[in-house]
Order: sequence, then C-alpha cells, then structure tokens
Amino acid sequence: MNDDATLRAQMALDGELDAANQLAFERDLSGSPELAAHYAELVALRAAIRAQGAREAAPEALRARVAALAAPRWSARPAAMAATLALAAALAGYGAGRWRDDPTLPTLVAFYQRAALSGQPVDIASSDRHNVKPWLAARAPFGALAPDLADDGFPLLGGRIDILDRRPIPTLVYRRREHLISVSELSLAQGGHGAATLEGYHVERWRDGERAYIAISDIDAAELADFVTAFAKKTAP
Amino acid sequence: MSGEAAKRRFREIVLPHLDDAYRLAKWLVGNGADAEDIVQEAALRALAALESTTPLKPRAWWLAIVRNAALTWLARRRPTAELDDALVAPGPDPEAALIARDEATRLSRAMASLPASLRETLALREIEELNYREIAAATQAPLGTVMSRLARARAALAKILKASE
Repeated sequence: MNDDATLRAQMALDGELDAANQLAFERDLSGSPELAAHYAELVALRAAIRAQGAREAAPEALRARVAALAAPRWSARPAAMAATLALAAALAGYGAGRWRDDPTLPTLVAFYQRAALSGQPVDIASSDRHNVKPWLAARAPFGALAPDLADDGFPLLGGRIDILDRRPIPTLVYRRREHLISVSELSLAQGGHGAATLEGYHVERWRDGERAYIAISDIDAAELADFVTAFAKKTAP
Repeated sequence: MSGEAAKRRFREIVLPHLDDAYRLAKWLVGNGADAEDIVQEAALRALAALESTTPLKPRAWWLAIVRNAALTWLARRRPTAELDDALVAPGPDPEAALIARDEATRLSRAMASLPASLRETLALREIEELNYREIAAATQAPLGTVMSRLARARAALAKILKASE
C-alpha cells in the first residue's frame, strides 16, 4: 500500500470522497484483497475507539455538578415556583398573550426548537429571496413573500417547509446576531393574533387581510416586535 | 445569577453531550480527574456564553469550548511543550496500571502516548466528528497536514491493536 492508497482509504472511511470517487473506491475494494484488509483494519480501529468511548461516560458526580449549574431557579423552592407559574399563567392568559386559545402555537414553537437545536434550521439555505421564494412556492400551497430585511438588521438565512394540520406551510428563517427568527405563513383560518411567550420563546402573530403570520424567536420581545414591524412594512399588500 | 433562558439552552445543548465532552477532555489531557475539572470549567464558560448567543451547531459549539479549555489547561501545565509533534508521555494513571492487560486500557494508553498534535487531530475527527475542512480550521493546519496526521495516528493505533491480538 502506497501513501496515496492509504489516504484514499482513509477519505472513504471519513466520508470525504465524493459520490463518484466513493463508488470507484468500493469497486477497487472488491478487487484488491490487500486494500480490503487495510480498510477493514481502519473500520475495526474506529469501532474499537467508539467502544472505548462508550465505556467512558462522564462520572455521575460531574454530571450532577454540571446539571446544578443550570437547574431551574425554582427547583429548591416549590412554593415560590408554584407562585411563579401561577403568575406566568395569569400573564400569559391576559390581554394579547392567550396562547392557550391557539392550539397550533406549541407545535410551531416545537418546530422552532428543533430547527435551532439541529443546527439545520433551513431546507434551502440562501440569503437571496429570489432563490428562497420559488423553492417554497413549489412546495407549499401558498408562497411566502420572503422580504429582504437585511437593511433592517435581519439577514435571510433561508426557508423550510413545516407540516401543520397535515398541510405544508412555508417557513422563512432570518438571523439577528446569533439568534434565529422563524416566520411561518398560515392560512387566515389557522392564524392567531397578538404576542405571547411560551417556554421562554417570544411569539408574534399578525395578519394582513390575505395571510396570517407567526414569528417565533429567542431574541427579546422588543427586538421581535421590531422585526415584525419591518416584515409587515415590506409585505403590505 | 444566570438567566432562565440561558439555563434552558444549557440544559438542551450541554447536558445531552456531557459524555462526549468528558471523553474529549480525557482524550486530550490523558486522565479522568483533570478531565472533570476541564469539563466543569468549560460548562461555566458555555453557560456565560449562552446568555448572548444561540449556537447554530450546538454540539460542535459545546465541544469546541471543551477542547479550548483542555488546550488552555495543557498549555498552562506544560508551558514548554507546545502542541507540536514531540512525544508527550502519558500521565501516571494508577487505575490503568491495575488492569494494564485489558485491551481497552491498551488502546487508551496508546492514544495517550500519541504525539499531542496527532491525538488532537484524531479526537476532532472521532469525538467531535468534524470533517477535514473543519479540523484544518480548528487546528490552523493545512488540509494535507490534517490528512497525514490522521493517517499517522491511525497507523500507530492499528499497530498497537494488532500487537495485542
């Protein structure tokens, strides 16, 4: 085995070959016992390293110490927590924040959480609205307008399709610093109205006569309101 | 006092990857007790950072903090031994000495005996699961160097595994 062959086998192992080269490698693999043996060695080594890692779970004491850093504030004081929750519920149900009347809200917030956690918040990544708009239009019954809000400090990250009530809905994702803002477009029947806060995420809902929108983010409520103002201005019919 | 939003993000991002963080730290510094200190230190940094950011790639973000904490720790402890290709002797590990015949221990000692730059590169690939380009950026090494370090690290470990069969 020369160095080039070794490096190529390693690239195959690490998923660094493109599709054509990977296919070519697999063809060579079946034709060369020497290469096959070398590759099997690499695969076995990786398995051994992974198995080794699986035996090295973080010690329980460490886990407890780290978890304690971020324990919810109320964990030590159940009475205070109950009061906080009661107050939060009262505030959430007050005025515009009636998310309990909007059954779609927890689902949409869950979409946002998933998108933020997965590191893949968009199906089509592009800051160009002319790419995102047709992509969404081809997949959802009503197309998103995808306004360009870069000048307002909210660059477009891309778009994705969410499924709500068994129907595809277009969702745009914008950025503010390191934060994500998702805007889903709903039918008028699905949409709600007003601001709300759910599990620490801020939500704004509005409509413009033709469409209903819902924006979700973990930026603060005032910034989200700025976003909505900018978005609504650019999309006014 | 950390904000509740930062704590929630911390519970979602850091806690699920605590095992990986510990493995990475242990791999980089060679022993469990120091790895615990490093992970705890990294967790404090992460919690503070989460006040003002929502990382787009949470696992990679958190493990990068752990890696940096480990490298800082190594640099402090061994100011003369830069992360070059010089051999770094494995630290004494009484637990390991007791079960030195165990193949897993052999592997872990073999990892610890790799030159620091090879060990770091292999950790970025096998634990952090970064691709070549990301490893090159993280270690500020050319792509070709990343590939040859990986190959050398793997050849050395494979030899040791074979010998123990």
